[in-house]
Amino acid sequence: MIDKLLDGKYHAIRKSVRDFCEREVKPVAAEIDKEASFPWEIVEKMAKLNYFGIQTPKELGGSGMDTLGYTIVVEEIARAAGGLGLCVTVHNSVAVYPIMAFGNDEQKKKFVPPLAKGEKIGAFCLTEPNAGSDASGIEATAISDGDHYIVNANKVFVTNGGVADTCLFFVRTDPDAGRRGISVLIVERGTPGFVAGELEDMSGMRCNQVSSLRLYDCKVPKENLLGREGMGLLIGLNALDVGRMGIAAQAVGIAQAAFEEATKYSMQRKQFNTPIANHQAIQMMLADMATQVEAARALVQRAASMRDKGLPFSKEAAMAKLFASETSSRVADMAVQVHGGYGYSKSYPVERYYRDARVTRIYEGTAEIHRIVIAKNVLDEME
Amino acid sequence: MALQIIVCVKSVVVKPPKRNKVDRSAGSIDLNPFDKPAIELAVRLKAQFGGSITALTMGPKSAETALYDAMSMGADRGILLCDPALAGSDTLATSLALSAALKKINDFDLLLFGVRTSDSDTGQVGPQVAELMQLPFVSGLESIEPDGQGFKLIRLIDGFVEEFKAMLPVAMSVHPSAVVPRDSSLSGIEESFEVKPIELIKADELGLDPGVLGEAGSPTRVAGMKKIPKEKKCEFIDGSDTDIAAKLLKVITETGVIS
Ligand SMILES: Cc1cc2nc3c(=O)[nH]c(=O)nc-3n(C[C@H](O)[C@H](O)[C@H](O)COP(=O)(O)OP(=O)(O)OC[C@H]3O[C@@H](n4cnc5c(N)ncnc54)[C@H](O)[C@@H]3O)c2cc1C
Repeated sequence: MIDKLLDGKYHAIRKSVRDFCEREVKPVAAEIDKEASFPWEIVEKMAKLNYFGIQTPKELGGSGMDTLGYTIVVEEIARAAGGLGLCVTVHNSVAVYPIMAFGNDEQKKKFVPPLAKGEKIGAFCLTEPNAGSDASGIEATAISDGDHYIVNANKVFVTNGGVADTCLFFVRTDPDAGRRGISVLIVERGTPGFVAGELEDMSGMRCNQVSSLRLYDCKVPKENLLGREGMGLLIGLNALDVGRMGIAAQAVGIAQAAFEEATKYSMQRKQFNTPIANHQAIQMMLADMATQVEAARALVQRAASMRDKGLPFSKEAAMAKLFASETSSRVADMAVQVHGGYGYSKSYPVERYYRDARVTRIYEGTAEIHRIVIAKNVLDEME
Repeated sequence: MALQIIVCVKSVVVKPPKRNKVDRSAGSIDLNPFDKPAIELAVRLKAQFGGSITALTMGPKSAETALYDAMSMGADRGILLCDPALAGSDTLATSLALSAALKKINDFDLLLFGVRTSDSDTGQVGPQVAELMQLPFVSGLESIEPDGQGFKLIRLIDGFVEEFKAMLPVAMSVHPSAVVPRDSSLSGIEESFEVKPIELIKADELGLDPGVLGEAGSPTRVAGMKKIPKEKKCEFIDGSDTDIAAKLLKVITETGVIS
């Protein structure tokens, strides 16, 4: 693996995505953060380069890349703009992937190609006002009515919510079956009763159009049921296992950007008649940042490679997500420190990295929930 | 009219040598940026007329990355001309080896080059290969279109448009302003590494006397290389606005920015 990372395919992937993002994304990253605007033009270019169908097979309109390649693409996009990395990882791993993994042939043929080609954007709608970490507490209902369900749902914090066309809704098809009463429906924007709420005014990831999505007596055909009734939580957890590697990669990308900015700044900024990079206290921070970013990246790539080899990777993905997200916050924090007061100003990008990094410890499972998952795995293994 | 196209490309060094040692690791080399428009043009011509694109490079093993890049953009296969006996080649020895390799490869209709390389900047290899192969050559091609049995080739020169008519096969170097090279898509990269073939040619397959190859066959040699120290001077101009404008005008005319 290490050879292929240093040169060969994975090096080519990183270089290609980095060149694109340096040229197209980085120059507007501060502006789309400030304006909280979704960069459609860039997204259309990204779509042509298969960034919306990274692991989708060629026959269905994607590039057929493996998980390791996928984490590199997400890392590089997030290095330029966290919110765009978020758009890509959520679309690929928790919207397209579950349809690939659990959809029947008709569903795959109908929904996947437009998503993989980036003609449509996907979303994952699980969280509700009363159900966050505890996904089994969702209240959205889907009542059977002939060949349709009548769905009522109030989903919050939906990544891509403002722009998504194809949305996976987690709903209760059996109110009495608890965890086993949850199902996933594919609902398309424009279906009568589909209402997109106001955009959330987020601290970071601001170019992503995070919003609430509601369904009011929305008639969804039964052919849009993913898998079988009651499989909802299984599908959700399975998708999140993959999604976590994307979020972890995103965290690494933000940390990498913060580290690079801090290093550059420390070589330019002079205090006490010398670049601050010559002060040992700054060097200690640079060394810690560099080491921690590499460690986080190694965990992400290990988890991804395990999945590519067909090995169980759930624990490794959770560890990578936990470690990379906490690393990202810590590294961004150090990068602000290296910048002094300028790091706290919006004139320098580290201020944005600091905000963007923070949420990676919250979404797709909080750090606390990840520790619970990892501990359970570790204890099970000892039995 | 399906076109068989060969594009000659080079893996260039993008980082200055450290302690006189050229670093050819993955992060320090790249596909010559001047070759990208040639590949792009080939890909567009193939889309228009059908046919195939072969990328050919001579260089050490690491030069393979230039072939992968070319294939990611759309070339169908790569050929690496690689042998210790070819080390130290100047442009003449390089052109000899390339033209011998080209004779071994399939027949072609179009032979494309970049106008120059970013790490050597001679611009000699394209025309030399064409000369050695007795092919018509147009340098700095701006556009190409079918014309009867052959092609009409346009090049821009000092405010003039020059138009050539050529029968196939023809060789040309492509001007960087001719086309904007595409970014590689992920599926392009995936195919390049997982599907498309790279063929290796060794020096003894060229049928040439070893004395004309590599360092032995190179009449020129790089005797030394040193970095030009860049001096940056910052000068503040004070005075009234009219004074500043006059002084500024003087500086920029004297330095030749405007005349
Ligand atoms: C920018 C952004 C984008 C998002 N995108 C999506 C999306 O696309 N789709 C989607 O469905 N959701 C999305 N979310 C929602 C996100 O996944 C949830 O915010 C997250 O799962 C936490 O849920 P909560 O906010 O309700 O917090 P809560 O679950 O209320 O947690 C509050 C605190 O309690 C802790 N806690 C909860 N339970 C336990 C426990 N058992 N033991 C110990 N500690 C516990 C948590 O760790 C946390 O510290 C997004 C959120 C944000 C901010």
